[in-house]
Amino acid sequence: MVLFLQQMINGLSVGSIYALIALGYTMVYGIIRLINFAHGEIMMVGAYIAFILAVNTSLPFILILLISMVLSAVIGVLVERVAYKPLRKAPRISVLITAIGVSFFLQNLALVIFKADPKIMPELIEKKPIAIGPLQVGTVTVTTLALSIVFMIALDLFVKRTKPGKAMRAVSEDKDAAVLMGIHVNKTISLTFAIGSALGALGGVLYGITYTQVFPTLGVLPGLKAFIAAVLGGIGLIPGAVLGGFVIGMIETITKAYLSSQWSDAIVFGLLIIVLIVKPTGILGKNEKEKV
Amino acid sequence: MLKVKNIDVFYDKIHAIKDVSFNVSPGEVVTLIGANGAGKTTILKTISKLLEPTNGVVLFEDEPLNKLLPHQLVYLGMAHVPEGRRVFSRMTVKENLEMGAFIRKDKAGLKADYDQVFSYFPRLKERINQPSGTLSGGEQQMLAIGRAMISKPKLLLLDEPSMGLAPLLVKEIFNIVETIKKQGTTILLVEQNANQALQVADRAYVLETGRIINSGDAKVLLEDDSVKRAYLGG
Repeated sequence: MVLFLQQMINGLSVGSIYALIALGYTMVYGIIRLINFAHGEIMMVGAYIAFILAVNTSLPFILILLISMVLSAVIGVLVERVAYKPLRKAPRISVLITAIGVSFFLQNLALVIFKADPKIMPELIEKKPIAIGPLQVGTVTVTTLALSIVFMIALDLFVKRTKPGKAMRAVSEDKDAAVLMGIHVNKTISLTFAIGSALGALGGVLYGITYTQVFPTLGVLPGLKAFIAAVLGGIGLIPGAVLGGFVIGMIETITKAYLSSQWSDAIVFGLLIIVLIVKPTGILGKNEKEKV
Repeated sequence: MLKVKNIDVFYDKIHAIKDVSFNVSPGEVVTLIGANGAGKTTILKTISKLLEPTNGVVLFEDEPLNKLLPHQLVYLGMAHVPEGRRVFSRMTVKENLEMGAFIRKDKAGLKADYDQVFSYFPRLKERINQPSGTLSGGEQQMLAIGRAMISKPKLLLLDEPSMGLAPLLVKEIFNIVETIKKQGTTILLVEQNANQALQVADRAYVLETGRIINSGDAKVLLEDDSVKRAYLGG
């Protein structure tokens, strides 16, 4: 039982990383209906930025994290401006292919700069076990979970309480109607990319710390799983991404612990297929009909 | 206040609007009437810059709009209630109104304008925290008009406010249009319900397949035989 609970906590921690990345997918999808396949690479970029800062400076962890998030946000916005914005009126498939192109570009750029061999991520969070009752939980696990939850709550407040956050929801529902309200749609899209990328970078840094490595293809698998998480929860819905992330993290961890670590990915991907068959709109997704 | 000069609008190769010119003076209610597909909505969308004319120009208070971005028009004092209401259905009534007030900076004045919208549409106040997707069609139309009015427009563009509504609600909506007019807001109204539109309007333009074929005093057109035959079912 203790072991099971411990695995659940690990699952929550991994899941929170997926959830952070899934938020970027779902927010961008919500606002421009694009599956941003370069999002996993933004996560990787975030991890490398933290790695560089950790190796070359003695900045505290939280500052390294924030710098990585801000720089990744800038890169995310740049990607949108350069690669996606010119295609705003193009068919969706063109933008999707461009996103895959950006993903390969960033991966290969990292390969050129940092070489293929994994770099060891310095111990940004001091590793020691914390006892919670009979449970032994690592500091990394606790920090990951805590930071993720803090930023998710911040995002929720931003989207529900602030003017730019509400404008973001308005644009994602109906661009033309939002324009008629005086909302600057392109600015709102940039803001969405900035926030999504910052959260992705946060996920990337935490991922790098959890697995103690940074490498050019770091974003590929967690990016894919986070994408599944977003679809599983209901793509375009912020609570859906969080729920999906935690579900995927739990299933993966429990499978690894009790069934087989080789099968865990297959089970996660199999789950996506089942959900898409049974409920194509995801767990929280609804088919909205127009009212007359 | 609004001058539309010789505009042509194309959807790909389809020539939807052909050399259309008209104007709206301050304080007036002007209506564009015509059958489905005549180009009424296209004209409103062109004025709001959701569509670009290939030729011609639109002037608002003598300022040509071609250099402006679509979202800037509401700052000039133009508000557009789009066809099909287009409320933000996952946002509450309150949030929808807040989006209408997106450009407003004066908190004090805003309070009074909220009160005014609620006096037009008391039902919106009752449903203030409800997601607008759960409202009835008539309530959504009220919200769409309220959302436009809260920006305090000089010119209100109204696209088919009566569409799909029960006769009683149509009456209610047109009463509100009348009230808005009395309070001094200029209105450009697009309607298929020509009878109602002509009763509330000062002047009208009749549109047929992208061209203006008739225009004049609304009360005169209401009695005009050709208009009666084509649009009033008489």
